[in-house]
Amino acid sequence: MGEYLQFVSIDTWTMIFTLINFLVLFLLLKKFLFKPINNVLEKRADEIENTYKTVEKTKIEAEDLKTEYEERLKSAKEEADGIIKSAVINAQRRSDDIVNEASEKAQYIVEKSQKQIELDKKNAVNEAQSDIASLAVDIAEKIIGKKLDSKEDEQLVSDIIDRI
Amino acid sequence: MNGPKIIFTIPLFGGIKVTESIVNMWIIMVVMVIVSIWLTRGLKVRNPSKKQLFIEKLVTMLYDMVRDVMGERYMFFAPYIGTLFLLSILGSLSSLLTLRPYTADLSVILTWTVMTFLIIQINNIKNHGVLGWLKSFTEPVAFITPLNIISEIANPISMTFRHFGNIAAGLVITSLVYGGLASLSGALLSWVPNEFLSSIPILQIGLPAILSIYFDLFTSFLQAYIICMLTMVFVQGSGE
Repeated sequence: MGEYLQFVSIDTWTMIFTLINFLVLFLLLKKFLFKPINNVLEKRADEIENTYKTVEKTKIEAEDLKTEYEERLKSAKEEADGIIKSAVINAQRRSDDIVNEASEKAQYIVEKSQKQIELDKKNAVNEAQSDIASLAVDIAEKIIGKKLDSKEDEQLVSDIIDRI
Repeated sequence: MNGPKIIFTIPLFGGIKVTESIVNMWIIMVVMVIVSIWLTRGLKVRNPSKKQLFIEKLVTMLYDMVRDVMGERYMFFAPYIGTLFLLSILGSLSSLLTLRPYTADLSVILTWTVMTFLIIQINNIKNHGVLGWLKSFTEPVAFITPLNIISEIANPISMTFRHFGNIAAGLVITSLVYGGLASLSGALLSWVPNEFLSSIPILQIGLPAILSIYFDLFTSFLQAYIICMLTMVFVQGSGE
């Protein structure tokens, strides 16, 4: 059997060893247990924080983009509206022009036709008059039995016809 | 009942006695450091392993406890409390591995409480200055100073005897129960003619384990928790 200390005793060397042991273990645990775990926990917290920040930033960016696009869309719509309106006005003006031109042309054609008709009518009447005159002369020759002096007679007949 | 056995003596300064307590403490320390290194190997920020989650949870629990009791500005204190807690509980639990628990050695516990006592005083001086520290003994009235000094010194002593007493008493009672059961089974088996068979202490099987749940598991945890709690409360109080 080896030597034993008293059951309730205070041993200086045990205390010194305990103190050294405690300090050594404290440093070892700090290095091998608490520090690495703490590092990982902090890194994770940082990463989560960063992720949140990135998400918030992205959200803001997305909202900015959304507003920008909405504005652009709005201006594009306005532009399109303007283009359509001016096109409509142009088309209106153009169609008015075309219609005016066409009606002018039609008017002209109608007038020209009327003149032509007038002229034709006059010609026809003149022709008919001369025909009738010569016919009348012929008839008169036959009736009278003598040849009339053509110039004077024709004149005479014409006068008669005119009087008719 | 004997105290801690002297394992060997270093022939210096007239013989340094290295007791069972110290050797057992070394064993526990080596185990703790190896387990720590194993647990903190390959730590990952993302997708931590179950092993990592387990140790992270324990460390976080310690930090939360220190934060709750002492506040954010004493967070640097957490490793000290963690070391104290682990040394205390594993020392007490080492009795399950048939080692003599070093927490049943008065010198060991006294060292820890004296450390705590010194930290309390240093923290007090740091927060209030030397004069403030000295003055704190005369409050609330001057004639109470001796009582204040006694109560200040009584703190580590009461902590020491609480921890030491609980574990040592568990050790004594467990030994007594084993001894008693051995002689009881000897008496029961005295009719057996074979000397070897009659010397088997059959009553020691099973029964002490039930006592062990209280004296080893419960008391070990409770005393480790109490010494850490008191240390935290006293240190925090000294900084107020």
